[in-house]
Amino acid sequence: MQRRSFIKGFGVVLAASAVVPVTMMAEEAKKAPVQSPNKMNIDSAIKAITGGKALVPSSKIEFKAPEIAENGAVVPVKITVESPMTKDDYVKAIHILAKKNGNVRCTDIFLTPANGTAHFATRIKLGETQDILVIAQMSDGTFLSATQNVKVTIGGCG
Amino acid sequence: MKKTLILLAASAALAFGGEQFSMSDADRAMYAEMLESNPAEMFVAGGADLLEEHCGGDAGLAKFLDVSEEKLPEYIAGFPRYVKKLEGVVALDQVLQALMAQNKQKPFALKSAEMFAMSAYAKSIANDVEINIDVTANAPMKKAYALGKEVYETKRGGRGLACLSCHSSDVIGSILRTQPLPDLGDAESNSGGTWPAYRMTKSSLTTIQKRFQGCMQNALLAVIPLGSEEMVALEVYITNLGKGNAIAIPGLKR
Amino acid sequence: MGKVKSLIKIKPNKYNTGDIVKVDFMVMHPMETGMRTDKQTGKLVPADYINEVKFFFNDALITNMSVWETVSTNPVFTINFKVPSEGTLKVVFKDNKGSTNEQSTKIKPKG
Repeated sequence: MQRRSFIKGFGVVLAASAVVPVTMMAEEAKKAPVQSPNKMNIDSAIKAITGGKALVPSSKIEFKAPEIAENGAVVPVKITVESPMTKDDYVKAIHILAKKNGNVRCTDIFLTPANGTAHFATRIKLGETQDILVIAQMSDGTFLSATQNVKVTIGGCG
Repeated sequence: MKKTLILLAASAALAFGGEQFSMSDADRAMYAEMLESNPAEMFVAGGADLLEEHCGGDAGLAKFLDVSEEKLPEYIAGFPRYVKKLEGVVALDQVLQALMAQNKQKPFALKSAEMFAMSAYAKSIANDVEINIDVTANAPMKKAYALGKEVYETKRGGRGLACLSCHSSDVIGSILRTQPLPDLGDAESNSGGTWPAYRMTKSSLTTIQKRFQGCMQNALLAVIPLGSEEMVALEVYITNLGKGNAIAIPGLKR
Repeated sequence: MGKVKSLIKIKPNKYNTGDIVKVDFMVMHPMETGMRTDKQTGKLVPADYINEVKFFFNDALITNMSVWETVSTNPVFTINFKVPSEGTLKVVFKDNKGSTNEQSTKIKPKG
């Protein structure tokens, strides 16, 4: 019977070839760093956003990201900023920055009162374990911030 | 004495490691919530267009399977199944291949993105219907089930692993690299009802048989070809583990 | 200007004027970072990513986004929107190579 071969016959060949653990492959990849074409560090990025104004850490920003990301290529982030979102008092922009990515900038979202609530969610790539910084630019010219650390792992099998 | 200490230390480290690196419920909930905005929906919409273009849409599929359009969802919820016209137990993608061939078209390869999308759409026709695979329906199904069980349980490859090595009731729930080993048949994993699914590690839509291949590759087992008797049998066996779960295509997987 | 697949979803399905709804916008896009090596050729794959997404309601700009290559492949962007009336929600998106695409959906409040 042909079909037996799939279950019992194969395998021997593979047994001989050692498998490189994923962690080692990750090390391998690190040896030849390729720079991001949009490389920017965190200090320059913050300065470009705030123009040098202070960041005020604030609990008005509800920032959710996983403590442990099972896959650095798809890390969910979810942000809600407390605001009435009226013409006179609203969140002008939300900026998401991943501190250790080659290009720290992920997205800059420019909102209007038409949004009703200052809410944004997406999925970002993280090259390694790092802090994610969220900056909310308020209509009164102040800049609020919130930070969360995300540990990047390679979870599960395959 | 020394030996005992080392053993103790090793097991403690293991237990600790397991604790430390397992994801929190909040994290897991956040990932689960991503299902609400599943990029695979774009792929499935593309699959609907392909089915329309190449197979005459839902009606064309129903006609080919000799069922009414009304009964089509329930019928699809029973795949893989014995299809007399094809003289064997087949998965849905093989039906689509045969249908394309009948329409004088070159069938999409089982491993093609087009087939993944089209078969995902075809299975989504049965969304919300409970999996009703019947492994005792006829002799070919009984045979497929028995073969599937054998594939599932037979230890192979350099490490002597079987599917069962990581999915038996003894080890389900243990943490492997931050993830608990899933019960393939429970409502949460719902392996029979949530593939084709979007795989975040691959950033694309993929089928359950392709996932089996990935699993075999990682576990150092010779990879069984898509659509082969063994592969379809394995899909039969695993689908049957989750009989009664509702179909929800496309799934979203790690 | 190739057609890029995209999808807008409004949640919940039924809503009234004045309700705040969730708007999901997703695009089928590789979001190449410009840092990945092609395994076949050994060469770097050029950066190719969505860099701008604009949401309009009846042609008035609601939300504008600058997007970088650090956003995941096949990106999903979720914002909120307070439904002012019946109308059309349109999303115009561009990539770093200069191509522009758009997607739109009808907004139909029940009350």
